Amino acid sequence: MKIGSIILAVLVLVILSSSVYVVKETEQVIITQFGKPVGDPVVTPGLKFKLPMVQTAHRFDKRFLEWDGDPNQLPTRDKRFIWVNTYARWRISDPLLYFQRLRDERGAQTRLDDILDGETRNAIANYDLVEVVRTSNREPEQGDLVAEEQVTLDPIAAGREKIRLEILHNAQQRTTDLGIEILDVQFKRINYVDEVQRKVYERMIAERRRIADRFRSEGQGEAMRIRGEKDRDLLEIQSEAYRQAEELKGDADATATEIYAAAYGRNAATQDFYGFLKTLESYPEVFDGKSTLVLSTDGDFYRYLTDVDGK
Amino acid sequence: MNGDPGDRREIPEIKLPNLDPAVLQRALAVLAVVVVAVTSFYTVGPEENGLVLRFGKFERVTDPGLHFKLPFGVERVMKVPIQRQLKEEFGFRTVRSGVRSQFSTSPYADEANILTGDLNAALVEWVVQYRVIDPYKYLFRVRNVGDTFRDINEAVMREIVGDRTVNEVLTVGRAEVAMVVQQRVQELCDQYDTGIQVEQVVLQDVNPPDPVKPSFNEVNEAQQEKAKLINQAQSEYNQIIPRARGEALQTVREAEGYALERINRARGDSARFVALYQAYAKAPEVTRRRLYLETMNDILPGVERKVVVDGDLKSVLPLLDLGAARGGEAR
Repeated sequence: MKIGSIILAVLVLVILSSSVYVVKETEQVIITQFGKPVGDPVVTPGLKFKLPMVQTAHRFDKRFLEWDGDPNQLPTRDKRFIWVNTYARWRISDPLLYFQRLRDERGAQTRLDDILDGETRNAIANYDLVEVVRTSNREPEQGDLVAEEQVTLDPIAAGREKIRLEILHNAQQRTTDLGIEILDVQFKRINYVDEVQRKVYERMIAERRRIADRFRSEGQGEAMRIRGEKDRDLLEIQSEAYRQAEELKGDADATATEIYAAAYGRNAATQDFYGFLKTLESYPEVFDGKSTLVLSTDGDFYRYLTDVDGK
Repeated sequence: MNGDPGDRREIPEIKLPNLDPAVLQRALAVLAVVVVAVTSFYTVGPEENGLVLRFGKFERVTDPGLHFKLPFGVERVMKVPIQRQLKEEFGFRTVRSGVRSQFSTSPYADEANILTGDLNAALVEWVVQYRVIDPYKYLFRVRNVGDTFRDINEAVMREIVGDRTVNEVLTVGRAEVAMVVQQRVQELCDQYDTGIQVEQVVLQDVNPPDPVKPSFNEVNEAQQEKAKLINQAQSEYNQIIPRARGEALQTVREAEGYALERINRARGDSARFVALYQAYAKAPEVTRRRLYLETMNDILPGVERKVVVDGDLKSVLPLLDLGAARGGEAR
């Protein structure tokens, strides 16, 4: 009696526990009966019921799921090898189809690897590297660069965004019959392979050197210009001063000469008087102790030496 | 992510069977009350929101404080720190934060290495600050929100940097890059239903790759050198030219002085002459003679050798030994 009731209680518990199940916010569930799916997928969360023993609940994630591709070494159309690392976000849009085609997430991830890696490879191989890197033909800001350093970029035809959408579109088409919806594909990382990277670095270094050389030679040129200006200004200032000085002196000399001429040359008498005076003035300077004077008694000074009348 | 259910169930202790059944019953009742109490109440921290789930189904959001829920795991609580500002670092990690934080960069160089639009490379380190504004979406719409958010950031930063030249990223375009990245990351966060709001994207160090760095420094040095050369030349100019200007002015002033002197002297001389002449004109013969004789009087005493010859003598020269006159001039 007592044992019978315990057995009954256990039986009820087992049946109850296998007929009640919880669907979490993040889950969706399909019910199979002996392996055959029955009813619509359960997509609302909460406490749910099913037939005990014969029905099984299969749980699938309802959220956006991640797919992170391995970095692949891919050639672009212009034969450059780059590492491309993509990621995608996807979700199980049709759990039944998904369950039938892929069984579980491992299967899904493997299929996504095939599809997305393949589409990425195709897309990358169809475009030049620059198309994958750049998105638009925007005009780069040049800042304070001098004209010759400024970078002009070749126009691109497609661009990163378009290539990305192309991959997304193609991949979406290939996953519709898998019960999967791909929401987004993005290039996470794009980088040169090491070998190319080195060459890029070398190119960048050469470019910088060129710019540095430019700066140096500009500096030297500018310094020379200033020195030249200095020499020019110096000569200009000095010669200008010389010119002014000489003009001033010349004017003064001319004025002085006029003044003298006006005074001395008023008439024959003044001219004569000036000659006389100037000659007398110069005598003391001309004769010194070493001079020998030979004077005739015919001269004015000694004429009285021989003749009292001076005749 | 806080996937930890908020409640804790007590494991009932198994009492020894030799106890009185009545005591055992009472003990079980007390235990049951304790379990109910413990599993019915929960607290939400001041920076958090609590999300209550009943049998896995989202029921309600609760604010900070003490709250009641159905016991025995019928309702569970998940807590999300919606007030806290969260941060993700790219290209480096803060090893130890503090007043002087330590950073580690080398293992994360791949994260920072980005191709620019002119097909050069730059190392970009950045920080994103964000908040959870929709805890429901944050918890239930996306698996691995953290990884998703990092992926979004890496992709967007590369997209934006890829559309700019290395020079823009290193210098003029920094602020603009951060701004555009923030917008774009927000767009993707919304598209993916992450419930995240991006508060700020901050570009940290943006550098050329290590092997290229010295040549970038070289450019800076060359720029300095250019400035130095120009400054030197300019200072030479400044040393010489103002001085030359002064000297020039001196020359001109001296010439002006000369001119004044010359004219004044001319005026003086002529005035004196005129005065003298006017006096002379009154008695020319006498004055002339007087002046002459006075002059002779002045000079003759100083002349050592004087030869006076008779006016009738035709030639005196043969008589004179001019060589003996100590090289003096004969007049």
